Amino acid sequence: MNWTCEQTEARLSDYLDGVLEPAEVLAFDRHVSGCERCTPLVASVSHALDRLHDLEQLEPSPRLVNSILTTTIGPQSWRNAKRWLRNLQSPRFVYSAVSVAATLFLILSASGFSWKKPKLADLAPANIYRKADSQAHLIYARGTKFVSDLRVVYEIQSRLRQDNEIPTTEEETIPKSSPNKKPNSTNGTNPASPRQQNRANGIERHLEILAAALPVLTGSMAERSIR
Amino acid sequence: MEQDAQLVQQCLQGDGSAWEELVRRHTRRIFNICYRFTGNRTEAEDLSQDVFLRVYRTLASYRSAHGGFATWMTSVTRNLLIDHYRRTKRDRVTDSLDDKMPVVENKESVGRRPDEQALLGELSNQVQAALTRLSPELREAVILRDLQQLEYGEIQRVLEVPEGTVKSRINRGRIELARILQQMGVRPA
Repeated sequence: MNWTCEQTEARLSDYLDGVLEPAEVLAFDRHVSGCERCTPLVASVSHALDRLHDLEQLEPSPRLVNSILTTTIGPQSWRNAKRWLRNLQSPRFVYSAVSVAATLFLILSASGFSWKKPKLADLAPANIYRKADSQAHLIYARGTKFVSDLRVVYEIQSRLRQDNEIPTTEEETIPKSSPNKKPNSTNGTNPASPRQQNRANGIERHLEILAAALPVLTGSMAERSIR
Repeated sequence: MEQDAQLVQQCLQGDGSAWEELVRRHTRRIFNICYRFTGNRTEAEDLSQDVFLRVYRTLASYRSAHGGFATWMTSVTRNLLIDHYRRTKRDRVTDSLDDKMPVVENKESVGRRPDEQALLGELSNQVQAALTRLSPELREAVILRDLQQLEYGEIQRVLEVPEGTVKSRINRGRIELARILQQMGVRPA
């Protein structure tokens, strides 16, 4: 295979990179060894390539990475804040935060904290304790009152039941009232007996007491007792 | 390479730590390309910063099917380096009129900090000086092939020229570099 100086120059990199065919390598070597022009060329390029490969990678200054990050995604403090906010999105943190918030809400509500007009002083431990104490006493008093009201109601109910269960010996003397007739009223034809009138007055009095004691139950209880 | 693609996806979803990881992985390589092309540490750092800024802004346009992320970044770097070269061409012409055929030591002693001189001394300043005297087309081809160890196919994608042109530029770049080194008095033993 004939080899020329032009070929040597054109295929020099292929030769140095070792991608020439064996026959081409043979021809290349044979030509270069006998050519005054190509011998120094190959030597100098081979030398330059060695020097290039000797160059080491340089280390950039440590602040380069930081300045790149600052230019692209903001300063260090902002990056830390964003990372912290990202961590807040984890389900575990959300559940914990919700539980803590619910607990605080319950404690503050129980201590009588005003959500409509919040005051910083209300959050002082001494104030929380004092309000929680008074709130507990209030709840206890309300409970006691509720139980006592219930007792009154049951007492009235039991008395009414007793009154209704008294056997009437003078049944024939008492005129029959219609089913819809109220206990303390007449049907307009026969006047009420004194006993009936007394009982009606007693029931009315009981209902008034009950209404005063337990306004919520007034309607339903009065209705039941009338029936 | 797959890890880079994964990090890019995380970046696009707003994960700042993924971007930090990408920056840390590629800063050294990008800085070295810029430094070898410009021969100036400050310029190289500024250009590296510009490269990452552009990559960050155009990250959504990266497609892994078109090649690795590193190749894409190298392509962005190369485009910025060429832009920079054209922008500063007038300044260099003025400089070259003042010092048409500079001796390496003299050239480096002008306008460089002492730490840069020490650095260049350690890292074969003659070769670096010879590199910066190559034409930009030959310089980028030699840097990518002989300093970054890229394959011909990757260089072809970065430079967006046919493979034959890539081979030709690398070959001419090496021969030209050897000639410049000889002119500078750096000869084979």
